[in-house]
Amino acid sequence: MRILLVEDDAGTAAEVARGLTGAGHLVNHVPDGRAGLMEAIGGGYDLLVVDRMLPNLDGLGLVRALRAAGVATPTLMLTARAGLGDRVEGLDAGADDYLAKPFAFAELLARVHALGRRPALNAEPSVLRVADLEMDLLRRSVTRAGQRIELQPREFRLLEVLLRQAGRVVTRNMLLEQVWDIHFDPRTSVVETHISRLRAKLGEPTLIHTLRGAGYVARPPDA
Amino acid sequence: MPEERPTRWWATTGFRITLLHLALTLLGTLLLAGIGFWASSRFAVQQIQAEIERDAGVLLNAGRLGGPTSIALSIEARIAADRSGTQYFLLSGPDGGRIAGNLAAAPRSPGWATMGLDAATDDSVLLALGTPLPAGHFLLVGRDLAPVRELEARLLGAAGWVGGAALLLALAGGLVIGRSVVRRAAQMERALAEVEQGRLATRLAARPGGDEFDRLARRVNATLDRLADTMAALRQVTDDIAHDLRTPLTRLRQRLESLEGKEAEAAVAECDRILEIFAALLRIAQIESGARRSAFAGVDLTAVMETVAELYASAAAERGQRLETDLAPGVAMQGDRELLAQMLANLVENAIRHGREGGRVQLALRPGPEITVTDDGPGIPDADKPLVFRRFHRLDAARSSQGAGLGLALVAAVAELHGLAVALEDASATSPPGLRVRLRG
Repeated sequence: MRILLVEDDAGTAAEVARGLTGAGHLVNHVPDGRAGLMEAIGGGYDLLVVDRMLPNLDGLGLVRALRAAGVATPTLMLTARAGLGDRVEGLDAGADDYLAKPFAFAELLARVHALGRRPALNAEPSVLRVADLEMDLLRRSVTRAGQRIELQPREFRLLEVLLRQAGRVVTRNMLLEQVWDIHFDPRTSVVETHISRLRAKLGEPTLIHTLRGAGYVARPPDA
Repeated sequence: MPEERPTRWWATTGFRITLLHLALTLLGTLLLAGIGFWASSRFAVQQIQAEIERDAGVLLNAGRLGGPTSIALSIEARIAADRSGTQYFLLSGPDGGRIAGNLAAAPRSPGWATMGLDAATDDSVLLALGTPLPAGHFLLVGRDLAPVRELEARLLGAAGWVGGAALLLALAGGLVIGRSVVRRAAQMERALAEVEQGRLATRLAARPGGDEFDRLARRVNATLDRLADTMAALRQVTDDIAHDLRTPLTRLRQRLESLEGKEAEAAVAECDRILEIFAALLRIAQIESGARRSAFAGVDLTAVMETVAELYASAAAERGQRLETDLAPGVAMQGDRELLAQMLANLVENAIRHGREGGRVQLALRPGPEITVTDDGPGIPDADKPLVFRRFHRLDAARSSQGAGLGLALVAAVAELHGLAVALEDASATSPPGLRVRLRG
């Protein structure tokens, strides 16, 4: 993907750019808001990573101006602010996802990948598949090798989030946000326990893999 | 600060001003009427005395020229000419018998005296001047005091009317002044209550120039401006700290992450802990500033508690605990969903961590709202109960704890923001007592 990174802190920018380049992306870095806006409008990027606090034009203003200009490039906003309403403000301004500093790089990468491949709304699949696991979103049924598996509504939602991102890492925080609408890190291993339950219901060999320090990924057992 | 009881009307400044106003007016009117009464009545009596002295002078003059006979003639003439019937005379001889006059008998004391007429027929009171004459004769000249009494009665009547009118005016004036004082004070109180609720932009109404209330209002507004400036500066500092410290910390964390090995992993974990404490402190500070209240919306507490219970059910199960819920349906309150969820999560997490392994954690919601989170762990000694909501407070030994000791401080801050009272209770009378946290709206 071609990614535009708008970040005024040189150190953070270098780390993020190095990491994203390492993951196989093309990264262009701009250190201030106004230049970032110009670049984002004209540059044909697949994804924008924008810091919230920027010189000249802050991240919120940048995204607002961008959306007003009709540019719908997926945008991930970063912030060092402890502000509680910031997330809502960022999303209201038109950002697609929001990540508070400090973040594990794995978290950033997972979100970048999730955003970069977000399917258009009208192309929503109604059946999700990984190996012999099949999930019918319309009938709300889950089968493995033809065997029906009964899931609680929350387990269904958890599996759905994982399968929509099949093959890609989904972090603990992404799961908390998308499955429980919880926007803080409860520290304890609550997500892990839900995943183990789900794993147990889905049977062997497991399709939900834990990536230490990163999150979870749904993929066939042999991969 | 708790809501104050509405001021009783008799305890208002307005009422006191009115009362004082009334008392002073009453006193003034009484004083004025008293002085007027006294002066007028004295003047009228002096008038009568002067007339008596003049009459007596004329009669004595006649006596000097023509003796008692002349006096007697003059008296008869005066009595005949007196249409008002208020003049009284008596000339008595040396034996005390009447020679002339329209009085029966009278004491023969020289000088001024007041006397009644024949009590049976007339209740008039006379002012009389007695003068001894040569050769044992005695002249008494008197006037009826009825005109003075009448004047006094009229004066009293007038004083009554004037006093009554003055009192009514004073009452009306006092009420007007009092009401305006009370109204302005109430306006100020309402505005300041708004400020207390966290709406720091509220200002008191103040007319340019204006009275002492306007001056007071301007002074209060200036103070509020100052307060707002200070809070803005504080927030700015907070943001700056957040930015200036968290960014390099984040970088440090990223660098550590790219290293291999156990030590690097431990360093990342330490880094996370620092950042977490830092974030929690900033979060508590922000909640306590009340700024978050402006974003309040209706929150379905029942749903939030279901979510939290569901989220933690498997964590409880891992410790062999049952997480039981008893949630009244459809309980809602004005608040911040995210903060309430975090508060509840902290409480449940705490209960699971401190509860007995294989025991149970109970989560209940009643309309009100009243939330209780109960565990069956070692509980908290009564002496320590007030301390646990403090920042960085951690009870040792009994409650083997991890975390930075900010969990309950955050609970307290969120509860306070939402106007929920937090109480810690022993869950049961048996040992261990367990702990019940009760939040009441």
